[in-house]
This record gives sequence, C-alpha cells and structure tokens, in this order.
Amino acid sequence: MNRSYTWLVIGLSIPAFIWLVPTLWMLSLSFQPNEVLARTTSSTAFGLIPLPFTADNYAALFTFGQTPWWFLNSLIVSLGMTLGVLAVSTTAGYALARLDFPFKRVITVVCVIGLMVPEQAVFIPLYTMFADFGWHNSYHALILPRMAVPIGVFLMLQFFQAIPRDIEEAARLDGVGWLQIFWHVMLPLARPAMMTLAILTFLYAWNDYLWPLVSAQQREYFTITLGLASIQSNFAQSEGLGRVMASGVIASLPVVILFLIFQRYVVKAMTAGGSKG
Amino acid sequence: MRDAKRGYLSQRQSAWLLLVPFLATYALFLVYPFFRGVWISLHDWNLLAVAFNPDAREFIGLRNYQRVMWGQNIQWGFAAPLLQGLGLIGLALAVFLRRMDRLSRFNAIALGVVSLLLVVLPGFHPGEGGRWYDRRFWPTVGNTLVFVGFTVPGVTIAALLLAAGLNRETRAMGILRTLFFLSQVLSVTVVTLIWQIMFSPRQGLIANITEVAGGTPINWLTDQQFAMAAIVIATIWWSLGIAMILFLAGLQDISKEIYEAAALDNARGARAFWFITLPNLRRTIMLVVVLQIILHFQVFGQSHLMTQGGPNDTTQVLVRYIYQTGFRDSELGRASAMAVFLFVIMGAFSVIQFVVGREKDQ
Amino acid sequence: MKHVLLTAAAAATFATGAAAQEVTLGRFFGACEDAGTDTTTSVGEPCIIQSIINAADAELDGIDINTLPTDWGNYYDQIKAAFAGGTPPDVFVMHRHRIPEFAGIGALSEISDDLASVGIDSSDWSENALEAVSYEGGIYGVPMDFHANLWHVNMDLMDEAGLVDDNGAPILPSSPEELMDHARMVEEATGQDYLAADFAQFPIGVRLVLALMWQQDANIFTEEGTATINTEEAANAVTAITQLFEAGYANPQLNYADSQQAFLNGEAAVLVNGTWVVDFYDAQAADPDVALSNYYAADFPTLFDTGATWADSHMWAIPSTLEGETRDAALQVLAFINDHNIDWARTGHMAVRNSVVESAAYTSLPHRDEYSGTAAIARDTPPSERYGAIQDVLNRELQAIWLTDKPVEDALADAELEVQDLLDR
Repeated sequence: MNRSYTWLVIGLSIPAFIWLVPTLWMLSLSFQPNEVLARTTSSTAFGLIPLPFTADNYAALFTFGQTPWWFLNSLIVSLGMTLGVLAVSTTAGYALARLDFPFKRVITVVCVIGLMVPEQAVFIPLYTMFADFGWHNSYHALILPRMAVPIGVFLMLQFFQAIPRDIEEAARLDGVGWLQIFWHVMLPLARPAMMTLAILTFLYAWNDYLWPLVSAQQREYFTITLGLASIQSNFAQSEGLGRVMASGVIASLPVVILFLIFQRYVVKAMTAGGSKG
Repeated sequence: MRDAKRGYLSQRQSAWLLLVPFLATYALFLVYPFFRGVWISLHDWNLLAVAFNPDAREFIGLRNYQRVMWGQNIQWGFAAPLLQGLGLIGLALAVFLRRMDRLSRFNAIALGVVSLLLVVLPGFHPGEGGRWYDRRFWPTVGNTLVFVGFTVPGVTIAALLLAAGLNRETRAMGILRTLFFLSQVLSVTVVTLIWQIMFSPRQGLIANITEVAGGTPINWLTDQQFAMAAIVIATIWWSLGIAMILFLAGLQDISKEIYEAAALDNARGARAFWFITLPNLRRTIMLVVVLQIILHFQVFGQSHLMTQGGPNDTTQVLVRYIYQTGFRDSELGRASAMAVFLFVIMGAFSVIQFVVGREKDQ
Repeated sequence: MKHVLLTAAAAATFATGAAAQEVTLGRFFGACEDAGTDTTTSVGEPCIIQSIINAADAELDGIDINTLPTDWGNYYDQIKAAFAGGTPPDVFVMHRHRIPEFAGIGALSEISDDLASVGIDSSDWSENALEAVSYEGGIYGVPMDFHANLWHVNMDLMDEAGLVDDNGAPILPSSPEELMDHARMVEEATGQDYLAADFAQFPIGVRLVLALMWQQDANIFTEEGTATINTEEAANAVTAITQLFEAGYANPQLNYADSQQAFLNGEAAVLVNGTWVVDFYDAQAADPDVALSNYYAADFPTLFDTGATWADSHMWAIPSTLEGETRDAALQVLAFINDHNIDWARTGHMAVRNSVVESAAYTSLPHRDEYSGTAAIARDTPPSERYGAIQDVLNRELQAIWLTDKPVEDALADAELEVQDLLDR
C-alpha cells in the first residue's frame, strides 16, 4: 500500500474514534460505581476508562431490572413486524410486478399515494381506532399498524420486475401454477431483496418510539425504547447514572452484535436496496 | 384453463389471493386511519371526554385549521425582508438560469416553487391589533425547518466526504465503515440517553474536556443558542450511517475508467472528487437529501427527551406539538388538523422524491 | 442472551402464576426496583412509595399489585391514553390540581361511601386534605400528602456570609431588596451563588414566581376565568428573581439535576425545591464525600406582604369504570396507603392525617420543626381543567425572560393572552 493510503487511514481514524467516543463512554460509565459518578464522571481518562471498576450495575439490572423484559418485548415486536412486512410485501409485490389482473394500475397508483402518508400523520386516528377495538397494550397493537407500509411492496415490486421473464415462462410451460412459481421460483430468487427489507424493517421497529409511547402503558408491553425513555425522564430520581447507562448498554448490545455478525450482509443489502432506489 | 384442469388457481385468482393480505392491512391501518384523521380534524374532539361519552364530539368544520394556522387581522406584506428577499433572488435566478439553459426544467421549477414559497409564506403577519390564534404553531414549524435545515446538509456532507474517503475494499476501510455505521443501529432513546449526559454541564464529557482546557462549560440543552445545535449534533451522529452506505453504493456505480482517465489529466484527490465524483453522484445525493428531509421532518424523540422542546420552545418540533396537543391537552381535533398539515408537507416532498426517482429511469 | 431469556421467563411465570386478584397501580415518583417491603427504613420518594406498595402486595391477602412503569415525563399523557384506551390502572396517584380535569369528565370513581368499609376514617384527614380530594361535594380520592416549595439551605455558606441568627436558623430575606443584599453577602464571603433552582426545564421557577405573586395577593387568573398575568404584581415577582440573574448571584440555565448537584456541591447557598427531597438532602449531608454538610430546610420566606408558597397534594384515585372484586381490592390498597401516611411523611412531605401530624414520630422527623410554618402558607392556582397547559405557558414565557432576554412586559402580555385562550377554550 502506498503512503497516501496510510495517511488516509490515519486521517479517517481520528473522526472514527470521535464517532466511537460517546458509545465507549456509555460503556465505561456503566462499569463505574454510582456513588463515584454522583460526584464526578471523569475519574480516569475523562471517564473513558472504567476505573474504579464495578459490575454491580449489571448485577442489579438482572436481579431487579425490567430491562431484560423490555428487551424481549422489543425482540418480539421487531421480529413480528419484520415477518409481517416480509409476508405482505413479497406477495403483493410479486402480484403487482408479474401477474395480470383487472384494476392492477389502480391498485398500484393507490399504493403510490400511500407512500406519502407518514406514520406520524396517522398515529392519532390509529390510536382512537385501536382504543375502540380495545387493542392497546398488546403485541398486535404494537405490530399491526406498521405492517401496511407500501415502501416494502415497492421494494419487492421493483425487484421482481427486474427478474427476466424466461424463468417464469419455462416453469409455466412445465405446467406449474402461479402460486407454485411464486413459492418455489421467485421467493428463493428474492432472498437478497427480502434481506434488505427485513433489515430496514427491523431497525425501524426497534427504534420506533411514538407509537409504542401512545399505545403501551403497561410495562408488560413496554419496548426497550419506551423503557429507556421512562428511565431518562426519571433521571434526577433514578438509581444512578451507572445503572441507567448499564440499561442503555443492555438495550444496545444485541443489535450491535447482530449488526457485527451480519455486517457484510447488512451493508450489501443496503447497497442493493439503495442503488435500486 | 390449464390451471383449472390441474387444480391450480388462475392468474387472476392467484393475484388476488397474493394481494389480499396487503390490501387488507393497507386499507385497515393506513387508508382508513388517514380518512378518519381528516374526519377527526373537523371535530371538537376531547380525548378523555369522547372515551367516556362517544357523543361528546362536535362537528365544527374547518375551525380547527383556522384556530391552528390562522389568526385575527392577518395581513400580507414584506414582514420578513431577509427570507422574502432571498426568495425573490431565487425566483430571479430560476428564470435567468433557465433562459440561459443552465438549469434543467425540473430544477428550475423546483427552485422557482421553493423561492415563491419563501416570498409568500413569511409575508403573513398579524396586522395592527391582530394576532395568531395559535402563537406556537408557526414557530414550531419554523423550528422543525431549522432542524431539517441543519441536519440534512450536515448528514449529507459528512456522509459524502466519508464515503469518498472510505471507498476502498480493504480491511482497514471496512473497520472504519463499521465504526461510523455503528451508532445507526442504536435506538433513539439510547442516543438521547448518551447525548443528554454528554452535553450535561456538570457530568458531561464535553464539559469535562472544556474545563480541563480552561473554558467554561456550556449549558447545551438549556441555552437557547445551543439547544438546537445539541439536538442536531446528536442526530447527525446517529443517522450518518445509512446516508454513508447509500453514497458508497453510488460510488461503486462510477466506473474506475473514468477516474483513470481523469488521472491522466492530472485530476486526483480533491479535484477528482469535485469534477468526477460529485457530478456522477448527483442522483444519489438528491435521493439521500429527500429521504433525509422526510425522515427528519418527523423528528420527535430527540426533542421530547433531550430538551422537552425547551428552552422557551426553541426546540419544539411539529410532531411533538401534535403529541402534546393530542395527549397532554386532550385536543384530538386540533392535533389531527396539524397532522393533516404534516401530511401535506410530507406529501410534497414525496412527490419530489418520486419525480427524482423517475428521472433516472428515463 | 440465555440469561435474558431466563430472566424474562421467570418474570412471565411470576406475573401470571398467582391466582390472586390483580390490581394494577399507576404512579410517578421514579423507579426503585429493589425497594423491599420494609416501609420504615426506605429513603427517598421512589423507594418509600415502592416499599409501601411492596408491603401491600405482601400483606394484603389475595391481592397482587402490579406497578405500572413509573415514568414522570409522560405520566398524565399515559394515564389519559390508558383511560381513552379503556385500560386505566386500577389505582393511580395524581395531583389535586388534576381533579377538575379527570373528575369533571367522569373518569374518577366517587368513593365517599366506601371509605368506612375498608377502614379509612376521613374525619382523621385535615380539613385541607379533605378539600383536596373533594369535587362537587363528593370524595374522589385518598389524600397522601401536602407538598410545597421550601428553601433548602447550606448553613455553612450562610454562616460564612453572616446570615445565621442566634438560634442557629438561617436569616432569610423579607423583601426583594434584602434578597439582593443577602445574595451579595454570600457572593462576597464565599464566591458562590446565593440561589439555585430548576429555572430551565421543570417548572420550579414558575412556582417561585407564583409564590411571589400570591405574596402580593395577586393570582394568574381569577375563579371566573380571566387571566391576570400582565400586572404590576407579576412584574414585581419576576424582577425579584431576575435581579439575581443579572447580578450573577444565580444561574438560570441549570435544570433539575444540575441545580440539585450545584447545591450538594456547595455551589449555592439556597436551593428552591419541594418538600420531597428533605430526607434525601439530609442523607447527603451526612455523607462525608458530599460538600453539603450542614443542611437546613426553611419555610419559603415572605418577600412581600403575606406568606405564600406553592403547594400541591398527592392523592390516590380509582377509575369510575372499576367494578366488583377489583374495586374492593383497589379500595383495600388505598386503605393500606392511608395507613402508612407516617412512612410517606418521611420523604419530607407533610402528612394529611391529624393523628399522624400530632404523633411524636412525625414531629421528631429530621428538619420537620424547621419548616413547620409551611402548612399555613401553602397556596395554589384556582382549579382549572387546563392546569398542565397553563403551567406550560408560564414556564415558556418565564424561560423566555431569563434564558432569552425577552422583555418582561412582552412575556407577561404574551402569557396572559395564551392563558386567556386556554381558559376560553
């Protein structure tokens, strides 16, 4: 490698480190005793090194804390929503992209219009609607409203449109039904697009705050975003900075690990999704 | 026909079967709520009162819109010379550049429309003895625009520069990319948790460093000059990743030959970036910008958790105002009217996004 | 990961395993997850209330209490959302100032005739407490405390500035001018701020200004619903405080946690905050690592004509939709909380039951004698269904004055307009 490359790496490492500092700091604070943090947060190297060290905050979290429970809820909701979006979007995307049927254009246009409706613009009517059904404080209340995102259908639609016709026609000549083609031929081909959609949906679901805030009031259905928000608004009265930060770490660790494992996939999937637009 | 014989569904039947799950959820959770929202916005609708007595709502037509967006004795004039002047310049520029053929028709129209809005909208102001019925609404919209106005260029420029630097398939670059992308996967509440403490004038890392350097710590979150900046910084830190990845994808579509050819003309580094990378990335940049605008216009968590909209409403944003009006003040009708307004703005940007997306296909 | 699942599974069996009557309970005050069931030793609002709840859960036969999330910031939004969604908590805490809003709409259950059946003696409540939970002649809740703003004092700083009298009590100002004099004395003697409070987020600053308005027999709106904010009295109240900012004797940019930290670090002689922190500061003062070592909880001083300090009341209510066994169980929980009034008073709050107030256990609580005058000067704004929104308007406009240099008259005029709008809605 040449010298300019080395300089580039060094030059980019500095902002990268700065980018990492807030996360490191959270990690480090979570390993320091609350009594110390109440006085100073910069014991060693501006607090970036956890000295004095303690693991009590984590022990306390797992003994008394609701964080693991909130975490599990987030997992259920995010996975549920991801599966739902995948199921609904692949089927509809395939139908709109590859099949002929009456009103196809109309339906496509109606979906396009739906792209323009942001969730924040419909959360109030959704709220009253779910209240009428008595659905609040349930997993389906957290999952269902986000399943109907037209963006997923469009992602899949564009993907299916790009698959050459011959594949389908060969199967048709062999006398295979449409649903079978969809299931046995198209779905396996669509895996990368589905992965993209799954990752985007999962991240979105994991981060969603406004809808769970209005829909879930019982802690059985608190997601990790909500739980952490409630801890934050109690800052002055809560059990201490270290505990709060430990909750933050527990909340983030799984997604970060997932990301690190699937990183290549995530980036590739996003790249594919991005250039398809 | 063949299908029927074999017991398969026909094409039409298959299509409907595959479409039904989507159409059902779509109709139930998007189309219906949307119209219901418009309907609620035409009522005086108290959250609690209606819960106990469904007849407690009253149809009041467009009054909610009037109460939110209009006022007494509202006049139009050159009330905000700076913005309106900027708009006029923009208009002139749009006409001029279009005539000189330096601007595509679409860009000219876009610039023209934005400029026209800049001239018209800030011109409304309450006249003598007049007032806005809701004095918080337009400032809130303004704050949201300021937030978008700082965040989107911030994210876009930073992500673009990073992507240009990181656009090599080596191990070191891969690790650096990971580091920059990492914060993207954190949830909004973790982000606000970290940055609330980061910005704290007593416990914060920034304050600690400032103090060691001999400065006085800034009260980031409660100083009106810094509160919005603090939120913007946290947001840029958080949402840089996806934009960077999209740019990296765009960069990979630019063929190596162009760069090699340019290198022969002595265009490397910054020059190559300026003359080759930027023009070739035009569409990706537009896409990222529009996506970011749509995303950040809906900001809620950062403002709600880090500053509670303060100090003195300087970080109050539209979605938080909708939430407050609906759930703290129980006024679902007014809140829905604001939500419809949000939809109109978002819709406009979505149309732009759609048009930009199509430009490539032609 | 395995650990997480195990914990969650354990939590699930715990939550569903018991066949007892489940009572959901909504509260704020913050989280205390390891509170235990000993109501006599816990410290601080979150842990004392949670220990009382845990004890009720353990001691009341056949009743299982499920405490809902204890989020402060969105508490009333969440309670409303829960009501509107048809799933309100079976027992929940609220402020007396919210009664018009909730009872007015029929959300609260009237419990006048049920109190005796679970052993709650409403005649033991002080007159003010009874009034606090009454709405249009009926009783809608069980009062738990009065809480008010105090002046929390760092006696060491006051001593250095020569502001301690012969009895060892702090000398507090009796006029806005004297306030400035004292502030200067503290600054000159110690170099520290005279006064700290959350002027930047939580409406402690609003409550300060309100108190100073009441001290001049003024109020922000009349019982008939006319806003009266753009007045000389309000301007007096505001300038009494802003003079401190201008002279550099107080910092308006501190929020709740920061102002508290400043006080504990010995960077401010006085902290204006509620009764709810007395036991906490007392405990902190005993900690050798904390700069504050000599702590005094004083009545809010009278800077104008009559004594007044902002006050409110915490009370427990049950929703009107509750019926049958759940309602009976909920009432028993109310009774249990009522029985533990003395434990709650340990926070620093003032008790509501005469029998408790007169008890030796109560009068001997730390610092209790130092702010015994507070009950007599407790005040609040007239009842309104829009209390929350009105407080918010005041908070914004006052912040505009001290954080963004908005002229006082403009801010008060704007506040009056907006509060009038809210009253007219």
